[in-house]
Amino acid sequence: MVSLLTLAWIYFRIGLIFVGGGYVLIPLLNHIMVEQYRWLTLRQFLDGLALSQLTPGPLAMLATFTGFRSGGFLGGLVATVFIFMPCVVLMLIIGRNYTRLKNIDMIRNTLDGLLPAVVGLVAAAACNLGASSLAGVRDYIILAAGFAMFKWTRVSPMLVILGAGLAGLLLD
Amino acid sequence: MESQPQAIISPLPIRWQRCYNCSMPNREKKVTLAEIFQTFAKIGLTGFGGGMAIVALIERVCVQEKQWLGGEEFLHGLAFGQILGPFSLNTCTFIGHHLRGIRGGIIAAVGFILPSFLLVSLLSWLYFTYHKLPQLQAALKGTNPVVIGLIVVVAIDMGRKQIKDVSSGLIALAAFAATVFFKLNAAWVLLAAAAWSLGMNIYRRRCC
Repeated sequence: MVSLLTLAWIYFRIGLIFVGGGYVLIPLLNHIMVEQYRWLTLRQFLDGLALSQLTPGPLAMLATFTGFRSGGFLGGLVATVFIFMPCVVLMLIIGRNYTRLKNIDMIRNTLDGLLPAVVGLVAAAACNLGASSLAGVRDYIILAAGFAMFKWTRVSPMLVILGAGLAGLLLD
Repeated sequence: MESQPQAIISPLPIRWQRCYNCSMPNREKKVTLAEIFQTFAKIGLTGFGGGMAIVALIERVCVQEKQWLGGEEFLHGLAFGQILGPFSLNTCTFIGHHLRGIRGGIIAAVGFILPSFLLVSLLSWLYFTYHKLPQLQAALKGTNPVVIGLIVVVAIDMGRKQIKDVSSGLIALAAFAATVFFKLNAAWVLLAAAAWSLGMNIYRRRCC
């Protein structure tokens, strides 16, 4: 078990660089939780990703899962509160100064310039996670099937993941 | 509404001007904090699919059904919401703040996150207690490749939207190479990209 203060500090820092939508958390959390602190194995990290797709709410709930692993229920709570603290505070500040901020495009342009890097990071995460967790032809076939479902059909991700779990159970 | 300090700041926020020339039935009565909590908790509980799917649900409930704010204001909130963190949560915070100031914003954010937090906590507990079960192991073995497939799809879709020219392509490639080949921390890559982007913006503004 890690001290809650350490957890709070780690997740607060992640919250500060949480840009470009929930998927950037995949490379960030993978690096910190799996590679740096080794609180989760890669398998557990991927399972957590599947779980956070099964539940409602943003993908960022992955923070709750990883926090739970490192500090139980309280760890999950601390992780959730602190990862979301920066963006909630920012939105409150923006809400207060809404009319004055509306014409400032500096932030927006900077953000636009940053998003290609997020694309690179997400692609890198797919590469890294795939290279170290895929084994055998069967996994690649499931990956291709999942890819096709997500890319070309409108089936909800939750159903695809449940279906994949069922397939895994039956094929075993 | 006198509890909201921005009422004395000029120019008047859009919503005050709006109140004079259009009659929004719900603006006459203060929305209670309990109603804010309840509304966003319900959205949080039913908002599957993440990101835009949830935002569409928020728009339907808050703009169309309850008429808590206008469509244009909603879009502004959504635009600001893309700066930091998940934009579904940010949109909730923005609307909550719009209705009842800071307390409203915090209550909306907590209400939205709470259902999924409780569900994920429960599932995490079940997972870490029972993940040695062979049946669960087998099922999760099936989901792992699919999750990676999802990340690939996200990378492709985001890439088609964000990579418009050579320079954005190069930034994406550099970020990819930095993490895959040089094993750099994703956080540092993000910070470097932010610094680069900000620098380019300032430079462009100065010279052109």
